Amino acid sequence: MSTAPFPDRARIDAFDKVRGATEYAADIQFPGLLYAMTVTARIAKGTMTELSTDAAMRVPGVVRVLTPDDFPPPPPTGGEDGPPPPPPTLEKTIAYRGQPVAVVVAETLEAAIAGAEAVRPSFADEQFSSRIDSAGAESESTEDWTAGDAAAAMAGAAVTIEATYESPTQHHNPIELLVTTAVWADGRLTIHECSQGVNVTKGSVAGALHLDPALIDVKSAYIGGGFGQKGLAQRQTALVAHAAMLTGRPVKLVLPRGQIFHVATYRPNSRHRIQLGADATGKMVAARYHAEHEQSRTGFFSPAEYHESPIRMYGIENYLGTAANIRIDRQAPGYMRAPHPQASCFAFESAVDELAYKLDRDPVAFRIENDTKVDPKTGHPLSSRFLNECLTEGARRFGWSRRSAAPGSMTASDGTQIGWGVAAGCYPSMMPPAIATLRIGANGSTRFATSGHEMGQGIRTAIAAVLLDGLDINTDKLDIVIGDTTAAPQHMTAGSWGTAGAVPVAAKAVERMRAAVSELLAGRTVAGNLHRQLASVRRPYIEIEVSQVGAGQNNDALAQLREGGFVVAGPEFPEFTTMSYIAHFVEVHVEPHTRRIRMPRVVSIADCGRVISPRTAASQVRGGVVWAFSAALREATEIDRRYGGYLNNDLADYVVAVNADIGEIEVGFVDQPDPLANSMGLKGLGEVAMVGASPAIANAIFHATGKRMRELPIRIEHLL
Amino acid sequence: MQPFTYTRPTTAPDAVSAFASAGADARYIAGGTTLYDLMKLNIEQPRHLVDITAIAGLDKIETDGDRLRFEALAPMNAVAANDVIIRDYPVLAEALSKAASQQLRNMARVGGNLLQRTRCMYFRNGADGVYPCNKREPGSGCAALRGLDRGQAVFGTSDACTAVSPGDFPVALVAMDAQLEILGPSGSRTLPIGDLYRLPGDTPHLEFTLAPGEMITAIVVPKTPAGRGSTYHKIRDRESYAFALASAAVALEMDGDQVSRAHIALGGVATKPWRAPEAEQKLAGQRLTPEVALDAGRAAFSGASPGKHNGFKVELGARTVADALLIAAERSRS
Ligand SMILES: Cc1cc2nc3c(=O)[nH]c(=O)nc-3n(C[C@H](O)[C@H](O)[C@H](O)COP(=O)(O)OP(=O)(O)OC[C@H]3O[C@@H](n4cnc5c(N)ncnc54)[C@H](O)[C@@H]3O)c2cc1C
Ligand code: SF4
Repeated sequence: MSTAPFPDRARIDAFDKVRGATEYAADIQFPGLLYAMTVTARIAKGTMTELSTDAAMRVPGVVRVLTPDDFPPPPPTGGEDGPPPPPPTLEKTIAYRGQPVAVVVAETLEAAIAGAEAVRPSFADEQFSSRIDSAGAESESTEDWTAGDAAAAMAGAAVTIEATYESPTQHHNPIELLVTTAVWADGRLTIHECSQGVNVTKGSVAGALHLDPALIDVKSAYIGGGFGQKGLAQRQTALVAHAAMLTGRPVKLVLPRGQIFHVATYRPNSRHRIQLGADATGKMVAARYHAEHEQSRTGFFSPAEYHESPIRMYGIENYLGTAANIRIDRQAPGYMRAPHPQASCFAFESAVDELAYKLDRDPVAFRIENDTKVDPKTGHPLSSRFLNECLTEGARRFGWSRRSAAPGSMTASDGTQIGWGVAAGCYPSMMPPAIATLRIGANGSTRFATSGHEMGQGIRTAIAAVLLDGLDINTDKLDIVIGDTTAAPQHMTAGSWGTAGAVPVAAKAVERMRAAVSELLAGRTVAGNLHRQLASVRRPYIEIEVSQVGAGQNNDALAQLREGGFVVAGPEFPEFTTMSYIAHFVEVHVEPHTRRIRMPRVVSIADCGRVISPRTAASQVRGGVVWAFSAALREATEIDRRYGGYLNNDLADYVVAVNADIGEIEVGFVDQPDPLANSMGLKGLGEVAMVGASPAIANAIFHATGKRMRELPIRIEHLL
Repeated sequence: MQPFTYTRPTTAPDAVSAFASAGADARYIAGGTTLYDLMKLNIEQPRHLVDITAIAGLDKIETDGDRLRFEALAPMNAVAANDVIIRDYPVLAEALSKAASQQLRNMARVGGNLLQRTRCMYFRNGADGVYPCNKREPGSGCAALRGLDRGQAVFGTSDACTAVSPGDFPVALVAMDAQLEILGPSGSRTLPIGDLYRLPGDTPHLEFTLAPGEMITAIVVPKTPAGRGSTYHKIRDRESYAFALASAAVALEMDGDQVSRAHIALGGVATKPWRAPEAEQKLAGQRLTPEVALDAGRAAFSGASPGKHNGFKVELGARTVADALLIAAERSRS
């Protein structure tokens, strides 16, 4: 494996994006396109007793109104081990406020909206539970995560702390709305959608509409922000597909943001009770941690996974992690950037800070001393772990040694309280199998097709880095085809495994291509780049196909990939565990009177193995820090328990961080290859980037003010 | 959204007669940043729109003589970027530049700005009948009263409505004793800005005192030496693009270290732009120290009646007034 750093390279799609030339799902036009708008349930639970569509059909331009009667029954469930069932289509049973109950299809968007407003459903209400602590909420325990004997070790600990932390309901809010365009022509259904899993979309539409998946193509060339919201099957997709099939015309739906709040997944409100114990030398010896979160009546987003990062943060040999779903009447929560560790590392890294203070230890040194080389959960070695390097380098760049330890001891002359905080994060590094084709043409073109989805994270740029590093080809006619079920078997892109899925297979393709070319040239020296060489020997093109599997996987994984399955390897590989790491150092300023909290500077150092695309990698970290700031100090979805639903369901009232909120963010990388994770030595980055930055902010606020903030978001009123 | 007719007259009298002949359910429209938003939410349901943006010469900004005069169609940004306003009346420039976003300020006009409607979340969300709201549907009740009231008012509330008057610029204009020039079906008149706004009482759906068809044509601010010693201090949930949790428009006439006259108005905390005469009186003749400033802030909030989650606005508001006074005093010295 070469370990030379990759050079800085601009995003290969940057120029198109800033010119507005990039085509997103909502931009694609078709002749004869119809527009759809969904009608939603006004009640939080119950039954739709009547649905009158006459008035809607009288709106000029309305072509059809789809109701629950237009849809087939749900498919049989796949059992415990099968894929999750597709989301329901239209149903009379109402499980949450905002559930779609009808779809109006019209010649114009305006007619579709007017038609949707003219549909007047009637409902029979039932009692409902809208919040985690509402009457009727049902607690359901899930499996434990354990290492050693936490009870015994805690009993023997010299120093313990215990506290409860809470993270609110938060919504993704990518700027691109949820978009589906469906075309039914010549017996094939083609779906253009912003999807992080075109294979998932394909399978779920086939299931919901009882279609042969072989008849369905799904394309998602560019996504305007995914963050996990677009990974699982989306509720509107089958509705739009069915509308296209019934009308015989292309149909497009752009879901309004207010509706997206009510049907898409979200980060659930979660509570975290943590007890930590250390021995007399300051080594952490025991952790007991109970996590619970709000959950729909049928959802599967597991609370047990809150433990996946905390259990591996340090060498705590005795860990008891318990968890529960609190089932209420809302739509299902799901994956939102750093899905579990955003909340659980906020809790855990705050608790570690509390323990460090109680032990009178420097929080950086305390973390460094509690390092580990093994995964306490499995007992296996960690394939690589450079968290201490992150902490040491971060402390150096930040100037940590100049910190005065006592809370409230760094105050500016105008009374502004200054706080320096640190926290760390880790996140599983995983890898899906992949199949790729690479074709280089004598006409100057190159086409590389594989599995992957471009959400703006820069996956095409990372692929291009490897192709251009190893092949002498034209950069302007390089076509990287991903997110397309017709181009290569597609796996969902999520969990920070996009680069691990696409880049090692690209490197393998480079190698195979170089071998194919040298075989073709058979020792002759031919001038020019590869295109010129092919032209010289009168070969129109060379195409090769390669595949890869993760450690511990075999050809079954490739077969499952071809079937559109979910086949991720790691982080627990057969003989080792692979995690990515980061350390964040944060300075906050708290105003003396009106108590606004500012974050003038951050230093974040990440261990994501080898860095393939330095520029987009640094952007990932900056974006992660920005969102962690937003999650810590800004965002919360407002739910009035008497009504259910979400009140602040637009970008004016759901307050996300803005540019003016964000100070300097300095990003660094350890850039050391992981020897075992994959052939390129890379590890995931997109999610770990965010993990730990929220607690670093909370810890900095404690250092500034002496007030320990255990509930997010932290706002002015909490510090007045 | 329901269908509507649309006209675009080119003179103010034509606009007034277009409105009159359109009858009830007509609305003027300027930048559209409030009205279109509320139409899409089905809260405003006009049948006729009279677009006033083609009226020639109704966007002048005049700073000569003994008053400032902003015509109704001057964009928010144009007033905020005016050099004289920035130098001599920072309270006015800041109230505009700290509102909304650059894009919205490009579109929105200072006339329309005075008539924006509340951001009460129950008001904005209720068009499909989920949340009762007296302002939207008189007599239906008020979901905010026993609901999520963090953003609600602590002054001027009633049993029927606690919604905050959201605008920033109106607060600054109230502090500076602005007058409005109004043209209507029965001629023109002037109106002190404070009299434009109604308290909710038991008719929260009635927000303004304009008669049907009356158009605001200009805003007039008397010049005062207090302008230089002024600020609009706005505390919000993020550093830009957010409505005020608490804000203070403050202008000071100083005699050395002593306050000879204070103008103070509060935003983000009241059902209409809220003048604070108690605090103004308390300051007159005082040497402005941080303690005196905080006392004045506390005096401004002495009559507040908070709900369940917005109690913090009382302390935050008092401190906001205090900080604003110190900023204003500092400016009056330079
Ligand atoms: C997302 C968002 C954030 C915002 N944030 C802020 C903020 O932080 N602070 C703030 O102060 N404001 C804020 N605003 C409100 C914004 O300032 C107002 O929407 C804007 O000033 C209204 O001006 P307009 O010209 O667009 O009015 P329009 O929408 O055209 O009209 C508003 C109302 O006034 C009437 N009208 C317009 N002109 C006249 C006239 N000359 N005579 C009589 N009636 C008239 C219309 O009939 C309508 O009822 C925000 C708005 C949005 C959408
Ligand atoms: S406070 Fe006023 S605007 Fe808000 S719900 Fe109550 S009546 Fe409606």
